[in-house]
Amino acid sequence: MKRIYLHPLPLRVWHWVNALMVILLIITGIELRVPGIAALPANSTALLVHKYAGWAMVISCVFWFVYSLISGNLQRYYVIRKRDLQGIFGQAKFYLFSMFRGEENPFPPSPEEKFNPLQKLAYGTIMCIFTGVLVVTGLLFSDIFFFRKYILLLNVMRVLDAIHVVGAYVFVLYLVVHIYMSTLGSGASSHIKAMILGYEEELDESEMIVGYEQVLGEPGTTTAAVLPEKAAAFQACHTEHEGANIDG
Amino acid sequence: MDKNDEKMEILEPVVRSFSMNHPCSRRQFVKVGGISIIGISALGPVLARGATKPLIIVEQAQGIVVADPVKCVGCGRCELACTEFIDGKASPTLSRIKVDRNLNFGPKGVFALRQGQGNWGNGLVIQDLCKQCSHPVPCADACPKDAIVVAPPGNARMVDPDKCNGCKICLKACPWEMISFDPDSNKATKCFLCNGNPKCVEACPAESLSYVPWRDLRNKAPHRITTTAVIPPGKAAACQECHLPGAQKIVGQGIPKFLGGVKAGNPFSLREFGFKWIDRVGTALLSIAVLFVAVHAALRAVVKR
Repeated sequence: MKRIYLHPLPLRVWHWVNALMVILLIITGIELRVPGIAALPANSTALLVHKYAGWAMVISCVFWFVYSLISGNLQRYYVIRKRDLQGIFGQAKFYLFSMFRGEENPFPPSPEEKFNPLQKLAYGTIMCIFTGVLVVTGLLFSDIFFFRKYILLLNVMRVLDAIHVVGAYVFVLYLVVHIYMSTLGSGASSHIKAMILGYEEELDESEMIVGYEQVLGEPGTTTAAVLPEKAAAFQACHTEHEGANIDG
Repeated sequence: MDKNDEKMEILEPVVRSFSMNHPCSRRQFVKVGGISIIGISALGPVLARGATKPLIIVEQAQGIVVADPVKCVGCGRCELACTEFIDGKASPTLSRIKVDRNLNFGPKGVFALRQGQGNWGNGLVIQDLCKQCSHPVPCADACPKDAIVVAPPGNARMVDPDKCNGCKICLKACPWEMISFDPDSNKATKCFLCNGNPKCVEACPAESLSYVPWRDLRNKAPHRITTTAVIPPGKAAACQECHLPGAQKIVGQGIPKFLGGVKAGNPFSLREFGFKWIDRVGTALLSIAVLFVAVHAALRAVVKR
Protein backbone atom coordinates (compact mmCIF):
# COMPACT_ATOMS: atom_id res chain seq x y z
CA MET A 1 0.00 0.00 0.00
CA LYS A 2 1.16 3.46 -0.75
CA ARG A 3 -0.47 6.57 0.62
CA ILE A 4 -0.99 9.77 -1.36
CA TYR A 5 -2.08 13.01 0.28
CA LEU A 6 -5.01 14.03 -1.93
CA HIS A 7 -7.45 16.16 0.02
CA PRO A 8 -6.32 19.21 2.05
CA LEU A 9 -8.00 19.85 5.39
CA PRO A 10 -10.25 22.80 4.39
CA LEU A 11 -11.73 20.83 1.53
CA ARG A 12 -12.33 17.81 3.76
CA VAL A 13 -14.13 19.91 6.35
CA TRP A 14 -16.10 21.65 3.62
CA HIS A 15 -17.04 18.33 2.06
CA TRP A 16 -18.56 16.91 5.24
CA VAL A 17 -20.29 20.12 6.32
CA ASN A 18 -21.69 20.42 2.82
CA ALA A 19 -22.77 16.78 2.93
CA LEU A 20 -24.67 17.37 6.17
CA MET A 21 -26.38 20.43 4.68
CA VAL A 22 -27.29 18.57 1.49
CA ILE A 23 -28.79 15.68 3.45
CA LEU A 24 -30.81 18.08 5.62
CA LEU A 25 -31.96 19.97 2.54
CA ILE A 26 -32.98 16.82 0.69
CA ILE A 27 -34.93 15.40 3.64
CA THR A 28 -36.75 18.67 4.36
CA GLY A 29 -37.14 19.32 0.64
CA ILE A 30 -39.01 16.05 0.24
CA GLU A 31 -41.09 17.00 3.27
CA LEU A 32 -41.99 20.30 1.61
CA ARG A 33 -42.52 18.81 -1.82
CA VAL A 34 -44.70 15.81 -1.08
CA PRO A 35 -47.65 17.43 0.76
CA GLY A 36 -47.09 20.76 -0.98
CA ILE A 37 -45.60 23.85 0.60
CA ALA A 38 -48.99 25.55 0.99
CA ALA A 39 -50.21 22.72 3.20
CA LEU A 40 -47.57 23.40 5.84
CA PRO A 41 -47.77 26.14 8.44
CA ALA A 42 -45.25 28.96 8.01
CA ASN A 43 -43.36 27.99 11.17
CA SER A 44 -43.14 24.24 10.52
CA THR A 45 -39.81 22.63 11.36
CA ALA A 46 -39.25 21.38 7.83
CA LEU A 47 -39.62 24.87 6.39
CA LEU A 48 -37.33 26.50 8.95
CA VAL A 49 -34.66 23.81 8.63
CA HIS A 50 -34.81 24.06 4.84
CA LYS A 51 -34.42 27.83 5.08
CA TYR A 52 -31.48 27.87 7.47
CA ALA A 53 -29.73 24.90 5.88
CA GLY A 54 -30.24 26.74 2.60
CA TRP A 55 -28.43 29.77 3.98
CA ALA A 56 -25.63 27.51 5.19
CA MET A 57 -25.53 26.05 1.69
CA VAL A 58 -25.14 29.54 0.22
CA ILE A 59 -22.16 30.18 2.49
CA SER A 60 -20.74 26.75 1.73
CA CYS A 61 -21.11 27.31 -2.00
CA VAL A 62 -19.44 30.72 -1.87
CA PHE A 63 -16.64 29.27 0.26
CA TRP A 64 -16.04 26.51 -2.27
CA PHE A 65 -15.86 28.93 -5.17
CA VAL A 66 -13.55 31.35 -3.41
CA TYR A 67 -11.33 28.57 -2.05
CA SER A 68 -11.12 26.81 -5.41
CA LEU A 69 -10.29 30.02 -7.23
CA ILE A 70 -7.65 31.18 -4.75
CA SER A 71 -5.99 27.80 -4.33
CA GLY A 72 -6.10 27.24 -8.09
CA ASN A 73 -8.09 24.02 -7.75
CA LEU A 74 -10.70 25.24 -10.18
CA GLN A 75 -8.17 25.83 -12.91
CA ARG A 76 -6.06 22.77 -12.11
CA TYR A 77 -8.67 20.10 -11.48
CA TYR A 78 -11.87 21.20 -13.12
CA VAL A 79 -10.96 22.62 -16.52
CA ILE A 80 -11.59 19.96 -19.14
CA ARG A 81 -8.74 19.69 -21.60
CA LYS A 82 -8.31 17.90 -24.88
CA ARG A 83 -6.62 14.98 -23.15
CA ASP A 84 -9.66 14.56 -20.90
CA LEU A 85 -12.05 14.47 -23.84
CA GLN A 86 -10.05 11.60 -25.28
CA GLY A 87 -10.00 9.84 -21.91
CA ILE A 88 -13.74 10.00 -21.25
CA PHE A 89 -14.59 6.86 -23.22
CA GLY A 90 -11.76 4.85 -21.73
CA GLN A 91 -12.89 5.85 -18.26
CA ALA A 92 -16.52 5.00 -18.99
CA LYS A 93 -15.44 1.67 -20.45
CA PHE A 94 -13.48 1.00 -17.28
CA TYR A 95 -16.45 1.64 -15.02
CA LEU A 96 -18.89 -0.30 -17.20
CA PHE A 97 -16.82 -3.30 -18.31
CA SER A 98 -13.11 -3.57 -17.51
CA MET A 99 -13.65 -3.07 -13.79
CA PHE A 100 -15.29 -6.48 -13.48
CA ARG A 101 -12.29 -8.15 -15.08
CA GLY A 102 -10.09 -6.70 -12.37
CA GLU A 103 -8.23 -4.33 -14.62
CA GLU A 104 -6.67 -1.27 -13.11
CA ASN A 105 -8.11 2.20 -13.29
CA PRO A 106 -6.74 3.95 -16.39
CA PHE A 107 -6.53 7.11 -14.35
CA PRO A 108 -4.99 6.70 -10.91
CA PRO A 109 -5.50 9.90 -8.90
CA SER A 110 -2.46 11.95 -7.97
CA PRO A 111 -2.07 15.32 -6.25
CA GLU A 112 -1.37 16.88 -9.65
CA GLU A 113 -4.45 15.47 -11.36
CA LYS A 114 -6.96 14.46 -8.75
CA PHE A 115 -9.94 13.71 -10.96
CA ASN A 116 -10.41 11.47 -13.94
CA PRO A 117 -12.23 12.98 -16.94
CA LEU A 118 -15.63 11.68 -15.86
CA GLN A 119 -15.13 13.04 -12.35
CA LYS A 120 -14.13 16.40 -13.78
CA LEU A 121 -17.29 16.46 -15.84
CA ALA A 122 -19.56 15.36 -12.99
CA TYR A 123 -18.10 17.53 -10.24
CA GLY A 124 -17.73 20.54 -12.51
CA THR A 125 -21.34 20.34 -13.67
CA ILE A 126 -22.73 19.72 -10.21
CA MET A 127 -20.77 22.47 -8.49
CA CYS A 128 -20.78 25.14 -11.18
CA ILE A 129 -24.22 24.61 -12.72
CA PHE A 130 -26.63 22.69 -10.51
CA THR A 131 -25.55 23.90 -7.07
CA GLY A 132 -25.37 27.41 -8.50
CA VAL A 133 -28.87 27.17 -9.94
CA LEU A 134 -30.27 25.70 -6.72
CA VAL A 135 -28.63 28.38 -4.59
CA VAL A 136 -29.72 31.23 -6.85
CA THR A 137 -33.34 30.08 -7.15
CA GLY A 138 -33.40 29.37 -3.41
CA LEU A 139 -32.17 32.88 -2.71
CA LEU A 140 -34.88 34.30 -4.96
CA PHE A 141 -37.49 32.36 -2.98
CA SER A 142 -36.29 33.78 0.32
CA ASP A 143 -37.81 37.15 -0.50
CA ILE A 144 -34.86 39.25 0.59
CA PHE A 145 -33.78 41.34 -2.32
CA PHE A 146 -35.43 43.81 -4.57
CA PHE A 147 -36.07 40.86 -6.89
CA ARG A 148 -39.47 40.34 -5.29
CA LYS A 149 -41.30 42.87 -7.43
CA TYR A 150 -39.70 41.59 -10.62
CA ILE A 151 -40.66 38.01 -9.77
CA LEU A 152 -44.23 39.14 -9.17
CA LEU A 153 -44.19 41.31 -12.28
CA LEU A 154 -42.90 38.56 -14.57
CA ASN A 155 -44.91 35.91 -12.69
CA VAL A 156 -41.96 33.48 -12.83
CA MET A 157 -42.39 32.01 -9.36
CA ARG A 158 -43.68 28.75 -10.77
CA VAL A 159 -40.91 28.51 -13.32
CA LEU A 160 -38.32 29.17 -10.61
CA ASP A 161 -39.88 26.46 -8.49
CA ALA A 162 -39.72 24.03 -11.41
CA ILE A 163 -36.05 24.85 -11.97
CA HIS A 164 -35.35 24.37 -8.26
CA VAL A 165 -37.06 20.98 -8.27
CA VAL A 166 -35.35 19.80 -11.46
CA GLY A 167 -32.01 20.85 -9.99
CA ALA A 168 -32.80 18.98 -6.79
CA TYR A 169 -33.65 15.80 -8.72
CA VAL A 170 -30.37 16.01 -10.64
CA PHE A 171 -28.57 16.54 -7.35
CA VAL A 172 -30.17 13.47 -5.77
CA LEU A 173 -29.38 11.42 -8.89
CA TYR A 174 -25.79 12.56 -8.67
CA LEU A 175 -25.71 11.76 -4.97
CA VAL A 176 -26.82 8.16 -5.52
CA VAL A 177 -24.02 7.60 -8.01
CA HIS A 178 -21.52 9.57 -5.92
CA ILE A 179 -22.13 7.51 -2.79
CA TYR A 180 -21.99 4.26 -4.72
CA MET A 181 -18.78 5.20 -6.49
CA SER A 182 -17.14 6.17 -3.23
CA THR A 183 -16.99 2.42 -2.56
CA LEU A 184 -15.08 1.70 -5.77
CA GLY A 185 -11.63 2.44 -4.37
CA SER A 186 -8.87 -0.06 -3.74
CA GLY A 187 -10.91 -1.13 -0.71
CA ALA A 188 -14.61 -0.54 -0.20
CA SER A 189 -14.01 2.28 2.28
CA SER A 190 -10.69 3.65 1.05
CA HIS A 191 -12.18 6.67 -0.76
CA ILE A 192 -14.29 7.53 2.29
CA LYS A 193 -11.25 7.21 4.56
CA ALA A 194 -9.35 9.43 2.16
CA MET A 195 -12.07 12.06 2.41
CA ILE A 196 -11.78 11.96 6.23
CA LEU A 197 -8.02 11.56 6.71
CA GLY A 198 -6.77 13.08 3.48
CA TYR A 199 -4.65 10.12 2.43
CA GLU A 200 -5.76 7.95 -0.44
CA GLU A 201 -4.58 4.37 -0.21
CA GLU A 202 -3.58 2.90 -3.51
CA LEU A 203 -2.34 -0.48 -4.53
CA ASP A 204 1.36 -0.75 -5.27
CA GLU A 205 2.30 -2.08 -8.64
CA SER A 206 3.27 -5.32 -6.93
CA GLU A 207 -0.26 -5.72 -5.62
CA MET A 208 -2.04 -5.07 -8.86
CA ILE A 209 -3.65 -8.04 -10.50
CA VAL A 210 -1.98 -8.29 -13.85
CA GLY A 211 -3.23 -10.59 -16.56
CA TYR A 212 -1.13 -13.70 -17.06
CA GLU A 213 -1.01 -13.34 -20.81
CA GLN A 214 0.41 -9.89 -20.35
CA VAL A 215 3.17 -11.16 -18.08
CA LEU A 216 4.19 -13.94 -20.38
CA GLY A 217 3.50 -12.21 -23.66
CA GLU A 218 5.98 -9.42 -23.23
CA PRO A 219 8.49 -10.47 -20.66
CA GLY A 220 10.91 -7.72 -21.43
CA THR A 221 8.56 -4.87 -20.61
CA THR A 222 5.97 -5.98 -18.11
CA THR A 223 7.86 -8.40 -15.92
CA ALA A 224 10.01 -5.50 -14.89
CA ALA A 225 7.14 -4.36 -12.69
CA VAL A 226 6.79 -7.78 -11.04
CA LEU A 227 8.91 -8.57 -8.03
CA PRO A 228 11.65 -11.08 -8.87
CA GLU A 229 10.41 -13.83 -6.54
CA LYS A 230 6.87 -13.48 -7.87
CA ALA A 231 8.10 -13.56 -11.43
CA ALA A 232 9.95 -16.71 -10.55
CA ALA A 233 6.76 -18.14 -9.07
CA PHE A 234 4.85 -17.35 -12.26
CA GLN A 235 7.59 -18.87 -14.30
CA ALA A 236 7.70 -21.98 -12.21
CA CYS A 237 3.96 -22.42 -12.40
CA HIS A 238 3.75 -21.96 -16.12
CA THR A 239 6.71 -24.05 -17.12
CA GLU A 240 5.29 -26.85 -14.99
CA HIS A 241 2.01 -26.66 -16.83
CA GLU A 242 3.69 -26.53 -20.19
CA GLY A 243 5.71 -29.58 -19.22
CA ALA A 244 2.55 -31.39 -18.29
CA ASN A 245 0.96 -30.52 -21.59
CA ILE A 246 3.88 -31.83 -23.54
CA ASP A 247 3.91 -35.00 -21.54
CA GLY A 248 0.18 -35.52 -22.02
CA MET B 1 -78.85 36.11 -55.02
CA ASP B 2 -75.74 34.07 -55.40
CA LYS B 3 -74.98 31.66 -52.59
CA ASN B 4 -71.58 33.22 -52.17
CA ASP B 5 -73.06 36.68 -51.81
CA GLU B 6 -75.40 35.38 -49.13
CA LYS B 7 -72.42 34.07 -47.19
CA MET B 8 -70.68 37.41 -47.57
CA GLU B 9 -73.71 39.21 -46.22
CA ILE B 10 -73.62 37.14 -43.05
CA LEU B 11 -69.89 37.52 -42.65
CA GLU B 12 -69.83 41.26 -43.37
CA PRO B 13 -70.36 42.44 -39.74
CA VAL B 14 -67.80 39.93 -38.46
CA VAL B 15 -65.27 41.11 -41.01
CA ARG B 16 -65.97 44.72 -40.14
CA SER B 17 -65.57 43.98 -36.43
CA PHE B 18 -62.12 42.59 -37.16
CA SER B 19 -61.49 45.82 -39.11
CA MET B 20 -60.66 44.02 -42.33
CA ASN B 21 -61.54 46.17 -45.31
CA HIS B 22 -61.22 43.43 -47.88
CA PRO B 23 -63.79 40.64 -48.21
CA CYS B 24 -63.25 37.45 -46.32
CA SER B 25 -61.67 34.47 -48.02
CA ARG B 26 -62.43 30.86 -47.13
CA ARG B 27 -59.05 30.60 -45.40
CA GLN B 28 -59.77 33.64 -43.26
CA PHE B 29 -63.21 32.33 -42.39
CA VAL B 30 -61.70 29.07 -41.17
CA LYS B 31 -59.03 30.96 -39.29
CA VAL B 32 -61.35 33.35 -37.51
CA GLY B 33 -63.92 30.64 -36.84
CA GLY B 34 -61.31 28.29 -35.47
CA ILE B 35 -59.84 30.91 -33.19
CA SER B 36 -63.31 31.79 -31.91
CA ILE B 37 -64.13 28.15 -31.20
CA ILE B 38 -60.85 27.67 -29.34
CA GLY B 39 -61.43 30.88 -27.40
CA ILE B 40 -64.95 29.99 -26.39
CA SER B 41 -64.00 26.47 -25.39
CA ALA B 42 -61.12 27.84 -23.34
CA LEU B 43 -63.55 30.13 -21.58
CA GLY B 44 -65.57 27.14 -20.34
CA PRO B 45 -63.16 25.80 -17.71
CA VAL B 46 -62.30 29.34 -16.62
CA LEU B 47 -65.92 30.13 -15.90
CA ALA B 48 -66.48 26.74 -14.29
CA ARG B 49 -63.48 27.21 -12.06
CA GLY B 50 -64.65 30.63 -10.93
CA ALA B 51 -68.03 29.21 -10.05
CA THR B 52 -66.80 26.47 -7.74
CA LYS B 53 -63.94 28.35 -6.12
CA PRO B 54 -64.47 29.17 -2.44
CA LEU B 55 -63.96 32.74 -1.30
CA ILE B 56 -60.37 33.60 -0.50
CA ILE B 57 -59.66 37.26 0.21
CA VAL B 58 -56.57 38.57 -1.50
CA GLU B 59 -57.49 42.24 -1.84
CA GLN B 60 -55.76 44.46 0.65
CA ALA B 61 -57.82 46.87 2.74
CA GLN B 62 -57.49 50.52 1.83
CA GLY B 63 -57.80 52.03 5.28
CA ILE B 64 -57.55 51.24 8.96
CA VAL B 65 -58.52 52.96 12.18
CA VAL B 66 -55.56 53.53 14.49
CA ALA B 67 -55.65 54.84 18.04
CA ASP B 68 -53.23 56.98 20.02
CA PRO B 69 -53.44 55.76 23.62
CA VAL B 70 -51.75 58.92 24.91
CA LYS B 71 -54.59 61.15 23.73
CA CYS B 72 -57.40 58.78 24.67
CA VAL B 73 -59.43 59.82 27.69
CA GLY B 74 -61.40 56.59 27.89
CA CYS B 75 -64.83 58.21 27.50
CA GLY B 76 -66.20 55.31 25.45
CA ARG B 77 -68.03 57.49 22.94
CA CYS B 78 -66.49 55.52 20.08
CA GLU B 79 -68.07 52.35 21.41
CA LEU B 80 -71.45 54.04 21.65
CA ALA B 81 -71.15 55.57 18.20
CA CYS B 82 -70.18 52.18 16.77
CA THR B 83 -73.10 50.23 18.19
CA GLU B 84 -75.65 52.98 17.67
CA PHE B 85 -74.73 53.39 14.03
CA ILE B 86 -74.58 49.72 13.17
CA ASP B 87 -76.92 48.02 15.61
CA GLY B 88 -79.20 50.88 16.63
CA LYS B 89 -78.64 50.25 20.32
CA ALA B 90 -76.10 51.18 22.96
CA SER B 91 -74.27 47.96 23.72
CA PRO B 92 -70.55 48.34 24.41
CA THR B 93 -69.97 44.57 24.51
CA LEU B 94 -70.96 44.50 20.84
CA SER B 95 -68.65 47.33 19.90
CA ARG B 96 -66.07 46.63 17.22
CA ILE B 97 -63.66 48.99 18.92
CA LYS B 98 -62.87 47.83 22.42
CA VAL B 99 -61.61 50.45 24.84
CA ASP B 100 -60.44 49.25 28.19
CA ARG B 101 -58.31 50.33 31.11
CA ASN B 102 -55.61 47.76 31.70
CA LEU B 103 -55.72 47.40 35.43
CA ASN B 104 -55.05 43.68 35.34
CA PHE B 105 -52.51 42.66 32.81
CA GLY B 106 -49.84 40.80 34.78
CA PRO B 107 -46.26 40.17 33.79
CA LYS B 108 -47.01 39.78 30.08
CA GLY B 109 -47.56 43.45 29.45
CA VAL B 110 -50.32 45.60 28.11
CA PHE B 111 -51.49 43.34 25.33
CA ALA B 112 -52.11 40.36 27.59
CA LEU B 113 -55.18 42.23 28.78
CA ARG B 114 -57.64 39.39 29.23
CA GLN B 115 -55.07 36.67 29.78
CA GLY B 116 -52.74 38.41 32.18
CA GLN B 117 -52.23 36.62 35.44
CA GLY B 118 -50.98 39.48 37.60
CA ASN B 119 -52.96 41.97 39.61
CA TRP B 120 -51.74 45.35 38.55
CA GLY B 121 -51.55 47.16 35.28
CA ASN B 122 -50.27 50.60 34.49
CA GLY B 123 -53.81 51.92 34.32
CA LEU B 124 -53.49 53.26 30.79
CA VAL B 125 -56.47 53.13 28.49
CA ILE B 126 -55.88 50.85 25.53
CA GLN B 127 -57.84 50.55 22.31
CA ASP B 128 -58.34 47.32 20.43
CA LEU B 129 -59.15 47.56 16.76
CA CYS B 130 -59.45 45.23 13.81
CA LYS B 131 -56.13 45.03 11.94
CA GLN B 132 -57.90 44.45 8.59
CA CYS B 133 -55.44 41.62 7.94
CA SER B 134 -54.04 41.20 4.46
CA HIS B 135 -54.06 37.78 2.79
CA PRO B 136 -54.40 35.27 4.44
CA VAL B 137 -57.26 36.71 6.48
CA PRO B 138 -57.66 34.40 9.51
CA CYS B 139 -61.36 35.02 10.20
CA ALA B 140 -62.39 34.86 6.53
CA ASP B 141 -60.38 31.71 5.92
CA ALA B 142 -61.92 30.01 8.92
CA CYS B 143 -65.50 30.89 8.01
CA PRO B 144 -67.24 27.81 6.62
CA LYS B 145 -70.03 29.89 5.09
CA ASP B 146 -67.83 32.41 3.24
CA ALA B 147 -69.69 35.04 5.28
CA ILE B 148 -66.69 37.32 5.77
CA VAL B 149 -66.39 39.27 2.56
CA VAL B 150 -64.62 42.31 1.21
CA ALA B 151 -66.72 45.47 1.60
CA PRO B 152 -66.37 47.45 -1.63
CA PRO B 153 -65.33 51.05 -0.88
CA GLY B 154 -62.37 50.45 1.44
CA ASN B 155 -61.94 46.71 0.95
CA ALA B 156 -62.64 46.22 4.64
CA ARG B 157 -63.37 42.71 5.84
CA MET B 158 -67.04 42.57 6.73
CA VAL B 159 -69.43 39.96 8.07
CA ASP B 160 -72.31 39.42 5.67
CA PRO B 161 -75.25 38.94 8.07
CA ASP B 162 -77.24 37.06 5.45
CA LYS B 163 -74.59 34.34 5.20
CA CYS B 164 -73.50 34.21 8.85
CA ASN B 165 -75.03 31.31 10.76
CA GLY B 166 -73.59 32.16 14.16
CA CYS B 167 -71.13 29.27 14.44
CA LYS B 168 -68.55 31.45 16.26
CA ILE B 169 -65.58 29.84 14.46
CA CYS B 170 -64.33 33.28 13.44
CA LEU B 171 -64.22 34.32 17.11
CA LYS B 172 -61.65 31.60 17.69
CA ALA B 173 -59.79 32.32 14.47
CA CYS B 174 -58.97 35.99 15.16
CA PRO B 175 -55.68 36.19 17.05
CA TRP B 176 -56.75 39.47 18.69
CA GLU B 177 -60.35 38.60 19.67
CA MET B 178 -61.66 41.35 17.42
CA ILE B 179 -64.88 39.66 16.34
CA SER B 180 -67.96 40.57 18.37
CA PHE B 181 -70.97 38.37 18.70
CA ASP B 182 -74.54 39.53 18.98
CA PRO B 183 -76.55 36.94 20.93
CA ASP B 184 -79.83 38.66 20.03
CA SER B 185 -79.51 38.22 16.29
CA ASN B 186 -77.12 35.23 16.66
CA LYS B 187 -74.64 36.76 14.23
CA ALA B 188 -70.98 37.62 14.41
CA THR B 189 -69.96 41.14 13.57
CA LYS B 190 -66.71 42.96 13.07
CA CYS B 191 -65.28 46.34 12.10
CA PHE B 192 -65.96 47.14 8.47
CA LEU B 193 -64.76 50.78 8.72
CA CYS B 194 -68.38 51.99 8.34
CA ASN B 195 -68.03 51.83 4.56
CA GLY B 196 -65.07 54.20 4.55
CA ASN B 197 -66.44 56.71 7.06
CA PRO B 198 -65.75 55.36 10.55
CA LYS B 199 -68.21 56.65 13.11
CA CYS B 200 -65.83 56.04 16.01
CA VAL B 201 -63.34 58.46 14.50
CA GLU B 202 -66.07 61.06 14.13
CA ALA B 203 -67.23 60.54 17.70
CA CYS B 204 -63.81 60.76 19.33
CA PRO B 205 -63.54 64.07 21.25
CA ALA B 206 -59.83 63.72 21.99
CA GLU B 207 -58.64 63.10 18.42
CA SER B 208 -57.19 59.84 19.56
CA LEU B 209 -58.67 57.85 16.70
CA SER B 210 -57.78 58.44 13.11
CA TYR B 211 -58.66 56.77 9.85
CA VAL B 212 -55.46 56.30 7.86
CA PRO B 213 -54.31 54.38 4.80
CA TRP B 214 -53.87 50.70 5.58
CA ARG B 215 -50.66 49.65 7.22
CA ASP B 216 -49.65 46.28 8.52
CA LEU B 217 -50.09 46.36 12.29
CA ARG B 218 -50.25 42.62 12.77
CA ASN B 219 -46.71 42.40 14.05
CA LYS B 220 -47.13 45.39 16.35
CA ALA B 221 -49.72 43.73 18.56
CA PRO B 222 -48.84 40.27 19.90
CA HIS B 223 -51.43 37.55 19.56
CA ARG B 224 -53.84 37.50 22.43
CA ILE B 225 -55.21 34.01 21.98
CA THR B 226 -53.87 30.85 20.42
CA THR B 227 -55.89 30.56 17.28
CA THR B 228 -57.47 27.35 16.23
CA ALA B 229 -56.53 27.04 12.59
CA VAL B 230 -59.70 25.40 11.37
CA ILE B 231 -59.79 25.86 7.62
CA PRO B 232 -62.60 24.13 5.77
CA PRO B 233 -61.29 21.46 3.35
CA GLY B 234 -62.67 23.28 0.31
CA LYS B 235 -60.70 26.39 1.20
CA ALA B 236 -57.55 24.44 2.00
CA ALA B 237 -57.83 22.92 -1.47
CA ALA B 238 -58.23 26.40 -2.92
CA CYS B 239 -55.06 27.52 -1.09
CA GLN B 240 -53.29 24.56 -2.67
CA GLU B 241 -54.72 25.29 -6.07
CA CYS B 242 -53.31 28.79 -5.99
CA HIS B 243 -49.98 28.14 -4.30
CA LEU B 244 -49.37 24.71 -5.83
CA PRO B 245 -51.81 23.94 -8.67
CA GLY B 246 -51.90 20.30 -9.62
CA ALA B 247 -50.71 19.17 -6.22
CA GLN B 248 -54.11 18.59 -4.71
CA LYS B 249 -57.36 17.12 -5.84
CA ILE B 250 -60.39 19.31 -5.46
CA VAL B 251 -63.82 17.85 -5.29
CA GLY B 252 -65.93 18.85 -8.23
CA GLN B 253 -69.63 18.72 -8.99
CA GLY B 254 -71.65 15.90 -10.48
CA ILE B 255 -69.76 12.98 -11.99
CA PRO B 256 -66.26 14.18 -10.95
CA LYS B 257 -67.52 14.39 -7.38
CA PHE B 258 -68.86 10.85 -7.67
CA LEU B 259 -65.49 9.68 -8.97
CA GLY B 260 -63.69 11.30 -6.05
CA GLY B 261 -62.74 14.69 -7.39
CA VAL B 262 -60.90 16.19 -10.32
CA LYS B 263 -57.29 17.23 -10.51
CA ALA B 264 -56.79 20.96 -10.23
CA GLY B 265 -54.85 22.12 -13.24
CA ASN B 266 -53.07 20.19 -15.94
CA PRO B 267 -50.12 18.30 -14.44
CA PHE B 268 -48.18 18.44 -17.71
CA SER B 269 -48.60 22.13 -18.33
CA LEU B 270 -45.53 24.33 -17.90
CA ARG B 271 -47.71 27.14 -16.58
CA GLU B 272 -48.86 25.15 -13.58
CA PHE B 273 -46.96 25.13 -10.34
CA GLY B 274 -47.49 21.44 -9.71
CA PHE B 275 -45.17 20.21 -12.46
CA LYS B 276 -46.16 16.65 -11.68
CA TRP B 277 -44.28 15.49 -14.73
CA ILE B 278 -41.03 16.58 -13.11
CA ASP B 279 -41.75 14.31 -10.17
CA ARG B 280 -42.69 11.46 -12.49
CA VAL B 281 -39.58 11.76 -14.64
CA GLY B 282 -37.43 12.37 -11.57
CA THR B 283 -38.62 9.32 -9.66
CA ALA B 284 -38.31 7.18 -12.80
CA LEU B 285 -34.72 8.32 -13.37
CA LEU B 286 -33.90 7.83 -9.70
CA SER B 287 -35.24 4.27 -9.75
CA ILE B 288 -33.20 3.56 -12.87
CA ALA B 289 -30.08 4.96 -11.18
CA VAL B 290 -30.63 2.88 -8.05
CA LEU B 291 -31.26 -0.24 -10.16
CA PHE B 292 -28.15 0.43 -12.22
CA VAL B 293 -26.05 0.87 -9.09
CA ALA B 294 -27.45 -2.35 -7.62
CA VAL B 295 -26.70 -4.30 -10.81
CA HIS B 296 -23.21 -2.83 -10.94
CA ALA B 297 -22.55 -3.78 -7.31
CA ALA B 298 -23.90 -7.27 -7.84
CA LEU B 299 -21.78 -7.77 -10.95
CA ARG B 300 -18.73 -6.56 -9.09
CA ALA B 301 -19.32 -8.99 -6.26
CA VAL B 302 -19.98 -11.93 -8.58
CA VAL B 303 -17.33 -11.39 -11.23
CA LYS B 304 -14.50 -10.69 -8.81
CA ARG B 305 -14.63 -14.23 -7.43
